[in-house]
Amino acid sequence: MSAAAIDTAREQGSFWPRLWAGIAIMLVWQITVRAFAPAYVATPIGIALAIPRIATDPTFLLSCGITLAAVAEGLVIALVVGTALGLLIGQSTLADRALRQYVNAGYTLPMIVVLPLVSLWFGYTGAARLATIVFAALFSIVLNVADGARAVPREYLEVAASFRSGRWRVLFDIVLPAAMPYFLAGLRLAAGRALIGAVVAEFFTAIPGLGYFILFNSRTFHHNEAFVAVLVLAAFGVGCDALINEATRRYLPWYRRDEVRD
Amino acid sequence: MSREGSLAARYAPPLLSFAAGLALWELVGRHTNAAFLVPFSETLVTLWQLARSGELLQQTLSSLAIFSTGLAAGLLVGAPIGLLLARVAVLRRAFDVYIMTAYATPLVALIPFILSLMGFGFAPKVLVVFLFAVFPILYNTVEGARSLKPELIEVARSFRSDEWALWRDVMVPYTLPYTMTGLRQAIGRALVGMIAAEFFLSSTGLGQLIMSASQNFDTAGVLAATLVIMALGLVLMWLGHALERRFARWRV
Repeated sequence: MSAAAIDTAREQGSFWPRLWAGIAIMLVWQITVRAFAPAYVATPIGIALAIPRIATDPTFLLSCGITLAAVAEGLVIALVVGTALGLLIGQSTLADRALRQYVNAGYTLPMIVVLPLVSLWFGYTGAARLATIVFAALFSIVLNVADGARAVPREYLEVAASFRSGRWRVLFDIVLPAAMPYFLAGLRLAAGRALIGAVVAEFFTAIPGLGYFILFNSRTFHHNEAFVAVLVLAAFGVGCDALINEATRRYLPWYRRDEVRD
Repeated sequence: MSREGSLAARYAPPLLSFAAGLALWELVGRHTNAAFLVPFSETLVTLWQLARSGELLQQTLSSLAIFSTGLAAGLLVGAPIGLLLARVAVLRRAFDVYIMTAYATPLVALIPFILSLMGFGFAPKVLVVFLFAVFPILYNTVEGARSLKPELIEVARSFRSDEWALWRDVMVPYTLPYTMTGLRQAIGRALVGMIAAEFFLSSTGLGQLIMSASQNFDTAGVLAATLVIMALGLVLMWLGHALERRFARWRV
């Protein structure tokens, strides 16, 4: 899921196979559901018919706005805190040794586990969702930025030192730009995790948003309507991915994808 | 800042910071409302009680049954399809966009649909874990098999390998390390899927341990179960890394 994906997307002559495959998937889905599943189950035709209705539904638009705004806010917090922590860990061996265990534990812990604790601490509110999003996104950024800060070529630092560059100068002019591809890779991971965090937090706390929209509509057997919200989530996930890949490609054309952690 | 440092310089900071973390937890826990946080010592006592009653083992095994069935299904489906897509270019071009889309979609959003279609049993939970696990395996297998040098296939062909021999002696061994990278990524995601299924489908296993503790405002129980899940995650991740390293040896 990276530069290579975009390369495949641009591969010659893939339009027709792709179109046929899409049609085949839709046909199999439509026919299987019609033949074997109850009438309320989502079908491609049902979803297509639901789109115009849902796209103008104020509840739905509000849900989209709330969830996506929460994801954006959480990502910004995670970016600022995560970059600072990552630089610290990457630059100082002491900080690395003291803090890495916590970062690794936070990254490994399935973020969904924090839901009961977070809702205990923040109540069944938007703050609980925000905390879940930050928790979900933070550690992949810390780990990637730390890797990036450590990967700065030693010669660059030596040259900077022999020109008597200040500590902050080195940080902003050398370390940060060098860590950029790692930072973007971390951001791509974090965006996906943040989206999952938002949805599970809404499932758990039943606060308004896209996740709750899905939960409510599927419980009341409006599967077609609920699936429109899944499409929005998919579009957001794919969009984030494409945006970051494009940014990497345009602004950091020298970077190769196999250098960063996944 | 020497890279190696003495033994003390290497091991003192993590140990001290670990001890400081626990001390802070204990201190904050003693001076806040018990509904908010309980001290580390109390969490340990709860954990010990859970372990002694046998409930911990039973719930962990129940969770692991879901986890391993789903992960195995992900491997059994993801790896062969990945190889097939890499071998047959037209299939790959036809389906890659859809696979990428499914990979980037938060599949956790499908849980309510799975719930109303399949109900509360073992199978829907396995399906959730499978959905979380299959795409990283599939994706890494395709990317790995695609990087197979055409010369290797040409050599095999000039020695009159048939399609079966080509798969057995070239494709599968070459791609295995990549599949293992996918498996390592899948382990982390499958763990999220397992807990999500146990939270949102029906409470069983470690998910139930957390849920019932949280419904009884038993903060010590929630923290104890969270610690267990964290430990399980660390062990499984370590296993994933070990597997990946084991197979990385013959990566060319």
